[in-house]
Amino acid sequence: MTKAVIEARNVTKQFGGLKAVCDVDLVVPENSISSIIGPNGAGKTTLFNCVSGFYVPEEGEILFYDQPLNGLPTHKVSDLGIARTYQNIRLFGEMTAIENILVGEHTRLKMSWVEAILHNPRYIREEKEAVRLAFELLDYIGLSGLGNTPAHNLPYGAQRRLEIARALASQPALLLLDEPTAGMNPQETDEMIAFIKDLRESRDITILLIEHDMRVIMDISDQITVLDYGRKIGEGRPAEIQSNQKVIEAYLGPGADALSERFKRKKNASC
Amino acid sequence: MKTILKNGLRAGITFGIVFIFLLLIGFINVGSTMIGDILGTNVQDQVPVNNLLITLAILGLFTGITAKSGCGECKWWMALLGGLTAGLVSGILAWLAIWITGTLSVGGAELQTYLPNLDPEDMAFLRFYSTPSAAANTYLIYLSLSSLAGAGLAWLLSFKNWFSRGWDTAKTKVSSWFEDKNVSDVIHNPWATAVILAIVGVALYFLPLTWGSYWNYIMGTVAIYILLGLGLNIIVGYSGQLVLGYVAFFATGAYTFALLTAPTPHGIGLNLWLAVGASVVVSTLTGLLLGLPILNLRGDYLAIVTLGFGEIIRILIKSDLLTDITNGPKGVTNVGQPNWFGEVFNDVNYMHLLMLLVLIGLFIAKRLKDSGTGRAWIAIREDQTVAQATGINTYGSKILALLLGAAFAGLAGALFASRNQFTGPEDFTLMVSINVLCIVIVGGMGSLPGVVIGAFVLKGLPELLRELEDYRLLVFGALLVVMMIVRPEGLWPAASTHFKQPSKKQPSEAAVEVKQ
Repeated sequence: MTKAVIEARNVTKQFGGLKAVCDVDLVVPENSISSIIGPNGAGKTTLFNCVSGFYVPEEGEILFYDQPLNGLPTHKVSDLGIARTYQNIRLFGEMTAIENILVGEHTRLKMSWVEAILHNPRYIREEKEAVRLAFELLDYIGLSGLGNTPAHNLPYGAQRRLEIARALASQPALLLLDEPTAGMNPQETDEMIAFIKDLRESRDITILLIEHDMRVIMDISDQITVLDYGRKIGEGRPAEIQSNQKVIEAYLGPGADALSERFKRKKNASC
Repeated sequence: MKTILKNGLRAGITFGIVFIFLLLIGFINVGSTMIGDILGTNVQDQVPVNNLLITLAILGLFTGITAKSGCGECKWWMALLGGLTAGLVSGILAWLAIWITGTLSVGGAELQTYLPNLDPEDMAFLRFYSTPSAAANTYLIYLSLSSLAGAGLAWLLSFKNWFSRGWDTAKTKVSSWFEDKNVSDVIHNPWATAVILAIVGVALYFLPLTWGSYWNYIMGTVAIYILLGLGLNIIVGYSGQLVLGYVAFFATGAYTFALLTAPTPHGIGLNLWLAVGASVVVSTLTGLLLGLPILNLRGDYLAIVTLGFGEIIRILIKSDLLTDITNGPKGVTNVGQPNWFGEVFNDVNYMHLLMLLVLIGLFIAKRLKDSGTGRAWIAIREDQTVAQATGINTYGSKILALLLGAAFAGLAGALFASRNQFTGPEDFTLMVSINVLCIVIVGGMGSLPGVVIGAFVLKGLPELLRELEDYRLLVFGALLVVMMIVRPEGLWPAASTHFKQPSKKQPSEAAVEVKQ
């Protein structure tokens, strides 16, 4: 069996009385493309935020290559090799595309501020290498020539890709993508699918993504986890998920019998 | 038609109220005096009434221009109609104000009790030494006509965009000249750069020698504020942390230097250059002391806490508690002055030293900005949460920014105390913090040329406009309001670093071209 990049056990995160994520297990195998799906408010992004260190779960633990992440400051999580993008694009708007990628490289740079003032040979070498790498990534995501454009002036699709480039710049082992095709037309979505597939193959990277577009999910996922009301209601290969009764209920609404049963269940449920 | 009348009405009411306000605080008189000074028409402090007319004309011109700017590309008669409306409305308001105040003062009412700047002499001047109603009519006619003229002028300048088109052509010409192969070769030639730097250096060396001690004093103040601005620019402009108590570091620097070098109250008499170093160190430590507990705060909370900190330092210096150490409200006198080949520093030496330090400061700030450290700061400014998730230790970066900023302030403080040979608690009021913050904002957040320009505009100009002494804050506030409306990004906004794509064949020759 392949190694697990992320292993989450019994993760619970609550806000006040609301359990946004409740007792969820998740295993992301190495070099896979795994997806988390679920209706709005199912707790997908909350789970993401737990993995990337934004939130500390109340219960359970998250292991990254067998190393617990609980309580690590966010920037340390990034140091370990987890990078992410955001549902609503969050680039550094005033900075240029290249600068955004350079910020992404930050964890890999060793230069100190004293060296920055002195411009010693080591600093110059490192900075040159960083800039070269940044331009390479810019070419890779297909934004050649737009390096000196402020990020907020880029078109929407380019911003999405730039966000991925910024995440890739830290040379992560795990890339978290939060709705990478949100707001894209079918053609752009196809491009993004090809891009994500290529990413895994050419960069030897594990990808965990949240997505609403079922076409995307079924096309690229090796494994799908379904959340509803903070609980995991299904897990498996795309074909299995498509025929999973609970998942269909969660998306399409249950029949009358199931509805009354679910109501009873909810009444008794702990969360 | 309706819009232009509405715009005219709005401009008229605005400027009418502005006029009444300026009148009541006595600014109309001061303006007339200043115009007399500039034109040299004042005879033995007697201001000719013509200057009052010029003041009114300027006000009216602005009224007209504002009224016209509301209607975009409109016909000439529309523009004039708007200008006339605005002029009439403001004129009527002015008429009322002059008539009421004039009648009152002619009737012997003690206006000065309530409006200390309007003594009877001023009132008579404002009436053109004639009857209230005649004067009021003059105001009405004058404001209307000059507003009409202003609107016409604005229309002419915007006619077929002559003005903006000309400006654009000029800009393109200049930039294409810079991009011209031959010219750009010269500019990027290291020898040419060296020659230009040498010329600037020589000019900077000889200027203080020639322009006299008054100018050295003013420019010295500007230089100290540039240093302060550079420091605060790191904190506010780069890392985006709104620190309102920046004066605290300035004060600790000045007091450290003063106490270590002055004969009283301690008589330590430390070597002056060591004392400068000590000031920088102590200010930096103060920064650490302040930064460690509070830099987790964001935005408004940080601003309020640091605001308090600035005041606490000043009040501590003044307090009975520390009188033995700091000499209390009396301040420290006879602060040490450095020697230069056995001679005590004179104004020229100070100017040279300050210019050198400003250049070094600019150099350091520039290099920091273009490095990974600077990019981390700007990322924090843009989105702290994402910056952290990208692997930036935001807390550490913010502390570093605060420490470097405090170090600049400490250096500036030491020089300030040494140059004045005195330092007292009242040198370090909240106004200093606000002044420096304004320099950073007016110049352009995060922009180094902006800091320099901001310091000249906000510290140099007021020193020159001595007439405005009493109204400095008013002008200051008005300037900030206008700035924020007209040019919110600052006088010289920060330009992003221009990166050149490294050539793929020879990655070793890849160069980063830096353009400010």
